[in-house]
Amino acid sequence: MNHLSSETFKENARAALADVQLRGALKNATSLFGERRKEAAASLPNWEDLRTHARAIKDEVLLHLDRYLEEFVRNAESRGAAVHWARDAAEANSIVCGLATERNAHIVVKSKSMTTEETHLNDALEAAGMQVVETDLGEYIIQLANEPPSHIIAPAIHKTRQQIGELFTAELGMPPTDNVDQMTSTARAKLRDRFAAADVGISGVNFAIAETGTIVIVENEGNIRLTTSLPRTHIAVMGIEKVIPRFADLDVFLKLLPRSGTGQRLTTYQSFITGTKRASSDEGPEEMHIVLLDNGRSRMLAHPVTRQSLACIRCGACLNACPVYQQVGGHAYGSVYPGPIGAVITPQLMGIQKAAQLPYASSLCGACREVCPVKIDIPRLLLHLRGEISPRKGSWAERLAFKMWARVMTSPSLYKLSSVAGRILQRVMPISRAWTNGRDLRPIESKSFHDLWSNE
Amino acid sequence: MSNSARESILGSIRTHLAASPAPDVEEHQAPLKIPVSKSDPIKQFKESVESVSGHCTITTDAADVLKQILTDLKAERIAHSDNPPNAHDIFGYDVGISTAQAAIAETGTLVLDSACERHRLVSLVPPVHIAIINASSIVETLSDALTLLQKKEISPAITFITGPSRTADIELTLAIGVHGPQELYVIVDGSK
Repeated sequence: MNHLSSETFKENARAALADVQLRGALKNATSLFGERRKEAAASLPNWEDLRTHARAIKDEVLLHLDRYLEEFVRNAESRGAAVHWARDAAEANSIVCGLATERNAHIVVKSKSMTTEETHLNDALEAAGMQVVETDLGEYIIQLANEPPSHIIAPAIHKTRQQIGELFTAELGMPPTDNVDQMTSTARAKLRDRFAAADVGISGVNFAIAETGTIVIVENEGNIRLTTSLPRTHIAVMGIEKVIPRFADLDVFLKLLPRSGTGQRLTTYQSFITGTKRASSDEGPEEMHIVLLDNGRSRMLAHPVTRQSLACIRCGACLNACPVYQQVGGHAYGSVYPGPIGAVITPQLMGIQKAAQLPYASSLCGACREVCPVKIDIPRLLLHLRGEISPRKGSWAERLAFKMWARVMTSPSLYKLSSVAGRILQRVMPISRAWTNGRDLRPIESKSFHDLWSNE
Repeated sequence: MSNSARESILGSIRTHLAASPAPDVEEHQAPLKIPVSKSDPIKQFKESVESVSGHCTITTDAADVLKQILTDLKAERIAHSDNPPNAHDIFGYDVGISTAQAAIAETGTLVLDSACERHRLVSLVPPVHIAIINASSIVETLSDALTLLQKKEISPAITFITGPSRTADIELTLAIGVHGPQELYVIVDGSK
């Protein structure tokens, strides 16, 4: 069991750093993802323009979110979808559980959805007496292991193939193997049976198009298509920020999302679902429900800095690029949203006091901002949130140290004196442990730059 | 769940936006035109399909190519999108055959529209999917395909398919055919 809390990030991170197997798995995955993303981005001559364009679309939506949501809802409803509004996670879960219970559902199949992870929908459905089956291979693995996802697009990235093989042997009775194809076909066979029996299918949403009332979902495996095609009832759960204005806007987002996420030009499948089937002889569910979730999102609109959090398209690129995530992995963040984007979204969704350590889980190196396909200035967001956590605080010793530092740095004579003193003192004074624990501190050179300059 | 939730969320959006300092949003630009390599779209389509582990044949005799593929596969139970088996029977089929209403050269993508055929399960559940497409329906770019789809009332289900089903959820190792077809054959009919 591995449900850690955001409140104990430091302890979680320390434990993760000691886990050699985890760090190996993370190193492989994040560097491979990073290389593929870089290659895919370089394959387009106008990557930077695309990013700017995507961000402009997102900004436009967010500034008029009420209008675009109403347009989306009007168009989705006119084509037969039923739309439900949920102020928070509990309300979303009770809507979904209510719909499933009213339909006498016993088996619910789910495709990967970060939003339903955020609301902990599975727990609610199980409490209502339903069997919930995650059908994305990665989600299926972590459901069997009873763990939360550790990456936005690759939920089981922290596990090695040996660990997954052992899990499948124990839980599914698979003959012991570490062959990936064999594990995949075992999961395929088990899940087909569940798909055939499912009463309700629950999916997430990547993009919701205001102009047409269409939801767009992208994937590689085909489980989303099965989830949204086979059961009688389809329920899609989405955050209110997923709406985009026009169908044509997909051009930009379908170029950016797969390249940033997995380095693909396009993922294998894109499903464009618009309302329900028109004739009863058509394929597809009889009913389609869309649940719009706020859960703290509308609050983020109140400031341009926090508002940009809502531009995120959940590609996971910032996780792979982040030197902190690369070392500690997703679970340490204690949130379904890990990595840099998790460090800014989690405190805003859960309440800043519950995740007060997360905005500090960053060296502010800016790698996340560089790779973000919608140019979210994550370092600026982190600083903004730090400012909210500790406005002008800090210990008296820290304040004194900075006062002295400022004094010394602005006076040439004091500066010279301090470098002489430093050279002597460094031999006798212990250097702060917290600093030298993870890195070396180079000794001060015996000759300063000033000395060298005047000798030239 | 009610009007009150709707009004409260829309109200919260409006209040928070109104409280926000003036935005400095970049000007919204006209949709971008991506320069496309000038190669022949049919040839480019074939290369793109093959680059994602699909098979692609360009022919003037689609029926013959189809027959050959089915013979090679030793397929017994074959589902067609013009008259598909029901949702529970289809799990026992070997091959699903559909057409595609358009295809995208730059990505090797098939575009299937529920207004034209019942493709949703035939192209997904059997372990092999064979798609037949007119050469003249191949467009160059994703943007072209999106434009095409907007020319009429949008259908309930449009599906883009690029290669066979795949996953990399175990150690980022590629595995083909996790939930959808393990093999995808595309026949480009150049007779018209």
